[in-house]
Amino acid sequence: MIPVAWRLATRELRGGLRGFYILLICLTLGVAAIAAVGTVRSAIEHGLEREAAAMLGGDAKMEFAYRFATGEERGWMDRHAAVVSEIVDFRSMVATGAGDARRTGLVQVKGIDDAYPLIGAVTLAGGGTLRDALATRDGLPGMVAQGLLLDRLGLRPGDVVTLGTQRFRIADRIVTEPDGAGAGFTLGPRVIVRRADLAGSGLLGEGSLFDSEYRLRLAPGTDLDQLRDAARAAFADAGLQWRDRRDATPSLRRFVDRLGSFLVLMGLAGLAVGGVGVGAAVRGHLDGKKETIATLRTLGAESNTVLLVYLIQIGLVATLGIALGLALGAGLPLAAAPLIESRLPMPAAFGLYARPLVEAAVYGGLTALIFTLWPLARARDIRAAELFREIETRRRWPAPVFLAAILALVALLIALAVRLSGDTRLALTTVGGLVFALALLLAAALGLRLAARRAARSRLSGGRPALRWALAALGGPSGETAAVVLSLGLGLAVLAGIGQIDYNMRHLVAAELPDRAPAFFFVDIQDDQLARFVSAAESEPGVERVETAPMLRGVITRINGVPAREAVGHGHWALSGDRGVTYAAAPPPGTTITQGEWWPADYAGEPRMSFAEEEAGELGLRLGDKVTLNVLGRDLTATITSLRRVDFRSMGINFLMILNPAALAGAPHGNIATVYAGPEAEAPLLRAVTADAPNITAISVREAMDQASDALRSISAATRWGAGATLLTGIIVLIGAAASGQRARVYESAVLRTLGATRARVLASFALRSALAGLAAGVVAVIAGLGAGWWVTARVMEADYVFAPGSALFVVAGGALASLVAGLVFALRPLRARPARVLRARE
Amino acid sequence: MSSPVIALEDVTLTLMGNAGPVNILRDISLRVEPGETLGLVGPSGSGKSSLLMLMAGLEAASSGRITVLGQELTALGEDALARFRRGNVGVVFQSFHLIPTMTAIENVATPLELAGARDAFGRARAELDAVGLGARRDHYPAQLSGGEQQRVALARAAVTRPRILFADEPTGNLDGATGEAIMRLLFELRDRHGATLVLVTHAPDLARRCDRVLGLRDGALETYAEAAE
Repeated sequence: MIPVAWRLATRELRGGLRGFYILLICLTLGVAAIAAVGTVRSAIEHGLEREAAAMLGGDAKMEFAYRFATGEERGWMDRHAAVVSEIVDFRSMVATGAGDARRTGLVQVKGIDDAYPLIGAVTLAGGGTLRDALATRDGLPGMVAQGLLLDRLGLRPGDVVTLGTQRFRIADRIVTEPDGAGAGFTLGPRVIVRRADLAGSGLLGEGSLFDSEYRLRLAPGTDLDQLRDAARAAFADAGLQWRDRRDATPSLRRFVDRLGSFLVLMGLAGLAVGGVGVGAAVRGHLDGKKETIATLRTLGAESNTVLLVYLIQIGLVATLGIALGLALGAGLPLAAAPLIESRLPMPAAFGLYARPLVEAAVYGGLTALIFTLWPLARARDIRAAELFREIETRRRWPAPVFLAAILALVALLIALAVRLSGDTRLALTTVGGLVFALALLLAAALGLRLAARRAARSRLSGGRPALRWALAALGGPSGETAAVVLSLGLGLAVLAGIGQIDYNMRHLVAAELPDRAPAFFFVDIQDDQLARFVSAAESEPGVERVETAPMLRGVITRINGVPAREAVGHGHWALSGDRGVTYAAAPPPGTTITQGEWWPADYAGEPRMSFAEEEAGELGLRLGDKVTLNVLGRDLTATITSLRRVDFRSMGINFLMILNPAALAGAPHGNIATVYAGPEAEAPLLRAVTADAPNITAISVREAMDQASDALRSISAATRWGAGATLLTGIIVLIGAAASGQRARVYESAVLRTLGATRARVLASFALRSALAGLAAGVVAVIAGLGAGWWVTARVMEADYVFAPGSALFVVAGGALASLVAGLVFALRPLRARPARVLRARE
Repeated sequence: MSSPVIALEDVTLTLMGNAGPVNILRDISLRVEPGETLGLVGPSGSGKSSLLMLMAGLEAASSGRITVLGQELTALGEDALARFRRGNVGVVFQSFHLIPTMTAIENVATPLELAGARDAFGRARAELDAVGLGARRDHYPAQLSGGEQQRVALARAAVTRPRILFADEPTGNLDGATGEAIMRLLFELRDRHGATLVLVTHAPDLARRCDRVLGLRDGALETYAEAAE
């Protein structure tokens, strides 16, 4: 049976791909989008892997919060590594000028030793070496900085700035920093100085907030697992954080993975829209083949031979579409590699990667099968009798075995999406959202059809023939309404969703934050500076409130005596790195104790702790549990005696853990302060409180939030590109639907004009039906987008949802316009054709 | 008396139309003997094409019994009927029904290929030569005249050497001279292969060439006329 079917199938294909173009374009686009996203993701993953050691700054890294390694610890490192480089990393303020001309900028300082960098090199705009740039000249040590800082403060090489109490000479502008991408999210631009030159800055005293990093270059062949275990054993309970080149940038990698997965799933949305087009194209093609199929049946072809003939044909075209998609999806990122690399904040190794291409091909193949099986199964049922009889004798639904096959393929696609995305929840949510959106659009299409049918017969369209014809066409059996609503709707729904989420994010930053968030966080305020700081801040006009708290940092190492990661069993943010800790004799104002009791004001017994309620629940902590914190290299075990409700979104001073004062007595520490002030008071306030205390670091909440929302905006831009691809596929499907309806419109136009309709009136009717269908797609998309926007704003960001009218209007108008343009383009031929010729040809 | 190649007993055909069930054929009983040529005549809508399609196994009867070449068709499903048609039955339509994407020779070879015959193309070539279209074998239907298309359809119907040929108004779409040529060819083919021929026609002179002529009106057999010969 197969050789015959193959011969018959290929014979028909010799005539070219007419009738298959929409199928080809839809599959090509869908597969290309997924392959391109996957290729970029693989490029980044390989780049991260290739540059892992450089980004880590060595083969392995040992990190301590708030302190340097002891002599003993450093001795251990020197014994196990070929070379050790010590880096100190912290936030501070760079200041320039004096008096009213004094300007400050928040920076991320890296203090280096002579061994830095162990891998790669820092490149400077001036072309010189880092060692030369940082050398002391005319009594001033050198500093190199990222361009952003120099531009912000108007600095040029040779200018003098102060960092803490130490003056530095700006030596050059940093172009690349080998370990830059590994640093993660930083609030200020990077500056590099020699660690030795920080000795006089007053920034690294006891109680200051800094991280020390020890990068190890290891002898070739060193067993990383063994060394890690040895380090953990040697530095048990010393607050050590270990990382090696095998997983140098886990959070960055996770982020790339998740965004990549999300975009691939967005690509699946595009493929689903394409699938609608594929299904429509195949249905149209097979409808045109009805006579051929019935003839084959007359000549003795069995139903399965017919099925096989067209399955082979569609399979061949689909394979071509998938191959073109793969070529495009792999080729475009390669061609644009230099451009993409220059815009990525992380390394990427562009090349041909099999995995994303296989993934895209499998998705493409499955989608093509899912959407073509239905019309194929119906074609299989065509009987010889249909050659001479118009009566449709076939069943409306395909045979149960095909329905089961379609469902099984859908299940396989979902299972693959879950498996390949590596994130079950993300995959299921996205696929669920897609299925829901498709179902909603289908329901809307049916609803619109019914409403249009009813409206066509109502008084509404009385005396308005163009409107009545348009409504009748929308309510008719042609399937045009469903094609437009489905093809445009999904892409528009994603765009509408992004529009609503984006607007709410901006609204949150611009409108809501200032009402409750402080203007500044000040860190590193020493005890002896605190009183002066508070009075200076409070005496500034426009300052509403100043809150302060002692601030230490600690790493949760054990829970009830068991290493924390083992006790909890998953990576909770509270366990990743060090967290702020404070102490208080009485509950801070506004605190709500939900369980247990606060300690007496003069309590001095065994350490006690109050833990944030929500996070305690997530970590499985209860009253009476013992939490061991490593503060400054020393372990401190406290019993949880109360749980508090903490609203981290308030942006005020919030701590996960509060201890009784005696527990931290003697531990050197600084203080943190939040100052609430209007935007106009920010600049004078900054000058007033930092002029006399250069060690104090100010973090502008507004700038930090702007930076965070910039990062979010990049993500939403990437998502928008994904939605754009979906929309483009939708428009192709729309064009396909309009093109396939052209023949019917030619006939309709001929009949209407024979009956006396002017061309203008016929055109108006065609335009109205296109615009109405597009409008409906837009409205449904906005409803779906509104749901998504509300869900993300209210449930994920836990903020009040605000409707974004601009984006909604854009989506609705865009839908109507796209459909209108597609409809009008294909209305030209019907209007040009002479009625007599059309009608005679039909006889 | 030899056993008939076609036997119909109390056959009815009722189809569902938009306005309800439509009786196409009512209580038809008839026999067709081996090698016989039977003409079916009657006005438009009388059911003669439907009767032919029932006998060819292209349509399923609503009730009654149809036996063709000893095989009871009413008991067969669509695919079994398709298999039965291969080699047993050849059909020629008024509208030719050639597959537009296949050349003449491919159209003729298709039933042989479906039957799994060897040298399908050699036999198809010979059959096209027999209908005088050897030179046009690589032409597509759209490149052939109506008469030529019908000759291809004749070759396609005859190529499997069927024991019964069904022809549904084979000259209905052709001019007089071409129609005459086609009919001559049809009878030649029948004579050469010794097949039984069932012919639906409007034309009385065509009907007269048949051994026997049956008339239909409103779905029932009306007259039982013997051929002039």
